[in-house]
Amino acid sequence: MQLRYTAAELAFRKALRAWLAETLPTVPPAPDRDDWSGRRAYDCAWQQRLYGAGYAGVDWPAEHGGLGASPTEQLIFLEECARMRAPGVGAGFVGLLHAGPTLIAEGTERQRARHLPGILRGEEVWCQGFSEPDAGSDLASLRTSAVRDGDSYVINGRKVWTSFAQVADYCELLVRTDPQAPSHKGISWLILPMETPGVQVRPLRNAVGSDEFAELILDDVRVPAENLVGAENDGWRVAMVTFSFERGTAFIADVLESRRLLQETARIARSSPGPRGEPLWADPGLRRDVGRLTAEVCGLWSLILKNVSEASAGRVPVQGASVFKLRFTENRQRIGDLAAQVLGRAALSVSDLPGADNSHIVEDRLTTLAYTIAAGTSQIQKNILAERALGLPKEPRWTSR
Amino acid sequence: MDLTLSPDQLDLRAGLVEFLDAQWTPERLRAGASSPTPDHDSWRRLSELGLFGVTVPESAGGMGLGCAEAAILCEELGRYLVPGPLVPSLLAADRVPGVLTGDCLVALLDRRDPTAVAEHLPNATHLVVIEDSGLLLHPVEGLKSVVAQQPLDPLTPVAVLAGPLGSGERIGSAQDAARWREVGAVLTAALQTGVARGALELATQYATERVQFGRVIGSFQAIKHLLAEALVRVDLARAAVHVAALTLDDPGAGDSAETVAAAKVLADDAAAANGRTCVQVHGGMGFTWEVLAHLYLKRAWVQQSAFGSADEHALGLAERLPDAMLQAEAE
Repeated sequence: MQLRYTAAELAFRKALRAWLAETLPTVPPAPDRDDWSGRRAYDCAWQQRLYGAGYAGVDWPAEHGGLGASPTEQLIFLEECARMRAPGVGAGFVGLLHAGPTLIAEGTERQRARHLPGILRGEEVWCQGFSEPDAGSDLASLRTSAVRDGDSYVINGRKVWTSFAQVADYCELLVRTDPQAPSHKGISWLILPMETPGVQVRPLRNAVGSDEFAELILDDVRVPAENLVGAENDGWRVAMVTFSFERGTAFIADVLESRRLLQETARIARSSPGPRGEPLWADPGLRRDVGRLTAEVCGLWSLILKNVSEASAGRVPVQGASVFKLRFTENRQRIGDLAAQVLGRAALSVSDLPGADNSHIVEDRLTTLAYTIAAGTSQIQKNILAERALGLPKEPRWTSR
Repeated sequence: MDLTLSPDQLDLRAGLVEFLDAQWTPERLRAGASSPTPDHDSWRRLSELGLFGVTVPESAGGMGLGCAEAAILCEELGRYLVPGPLVPSLLAADRVPGVLTGDCLVALLDRRDPTAVAEHLPNATHLVVIEDSGLLLHPVEGLKSVVAQQPLDPLTPVAVLAGPLGSGERIGSAQDAARWREVGAVLTAALQTGVARGALELATQYATERVQFGRVIGSFQAIKHLLAEALVRVDLARAAVHVAALTLDDPGAGDSAETVAAAKVLADDAAAANGRTCVQVHGGMGFTWEVLAHLYLKRAWVQQSAFGSADEHALGLAERLPDAMLQAEAE
């Protein structure tokens, strides 16, 4: 075991740091949360800057236009960007982290040539059409149907929780192509151009009060059969392929943000008077709570290093990813509760109040409600660990079909 | 940066596991728990493995390895519930004659602890007192102490000092004392990680065998989730312990004040919570003396009190937090 980075990794960090220091001051302020076209433009502009500097698709293989970086270099890239508060991946998320890697692994030459350069250059935005109103945790029970008609598929159904759908060019869509097959067996993975007739995007207001999500209503949508990625009815495996690229790097910026929130909570507690006039920070109970959450954040960072090390050794840190997500999401929610406790009644407003630095803290507290739900609820993660890591019996399955 | 175990580290661990698997069977633990006689034979065998000299330089008869290796071994010792003053021996092997060979048993007392209760003092030959100003060695002969008739952990005899200590022999500086506190906290956290893991393994084993309502209880989600949560605690604690041990071996690689405290907080939590989980999953059997579940929990409770409680370490973390940043390599 070794904590030190290699000379090459240090040089990578140094060059990146220098580029960020030079570039970030010229980045305009971020647009409003609900200004979708503004957010798309902003995120794509940043992606273009990364592309120009050779930092686009850090983890993509070099032969597909990426940097072909090792998991450790990817860790350094994400750590430095987060530390220096560079814009995040934003609207590029699905394209860069999901659809792109899937096309690299499973797409045809033509599909790759058509989409990969645009994703890397920040010209093409993707959204994800996996979940449905009746297929959440049980994703494989999805019912959106695709019926072959000549050289097209005709698609009918609904998708939900589709982030950035309002401004996306393409959607990675899971559809049922064989209604007779067992649930995992009859699914296909399709590229859906969002301007296809019959695609309707209906914004969905989330608990933060933002229209981050949308519902997709798909009504006799015709997609060319050549948009199939992988074989027909092999879509479940194709969708799972991206998970096998897990390198333990998914939450690097988030852990740094958790630490910042704790530091901020401590700062506010030092300058806020408690009920008897002394600073809130004088309460050892509060300090203990802050310290315990800090210990978890340190442990989570150590776990990231472990998971990245596993990935570097050529293993997929499946167990590590579930372990990490369970503790990270719970920890972040508890940080939000503690921060709100310190803010007191200033936490009753999601917008800034005079003299209180509350808005992003309250908003984060609301946003993180979704953390223990999205991408496999905590309960599903526990089932995964119990079954795959501890070898306990699988959940019984009842098929409704 | 690589937090996977090297081939040498894997071999080192495998060697100890093979030994412990043969020596420290559940039967032996049960026997030890019902008779309070010290087991000098097994202690000598541990010393023959060279265990206590892991971090002692080769020139002084040790293995010349680091805290990282000591932590890897301590996790296994905790997992097998090996009794005895393990951490004190690992700390004192290079400066108290006879510890390396298993001839002398060292008990420890930190002056920061107001109660003056020392683990393994009833069987010890020496007592080392950790003070802010340094390390002081006392022969146990002539010390007044009262032995607890029924120690909390039947495998960890304890005694309370009942009289004033003499001046003792100074065997370490203030800096050495500070170092002992840090290394001791990390190695105790490593033992705790092992306790947490052993408790999880025992509970998981039971959950795959015990049948109720016509199914093994491990098929019920209530049990599965208890065990999954226990696994999360083990993995988180282990990662924190390894990073802490590495920062002690290579101070430039991280902020040891932070990593050590985090390791102790997380590992204490893991051991105590997993000990409880182990008792709970065993149901009524978990409350019997016969099943080992209570021994994991009791060991966890004993070790929580050693080298600073989780609360103390958490307070330290909170104090440093506003100025502390996550480690990035200096340019």
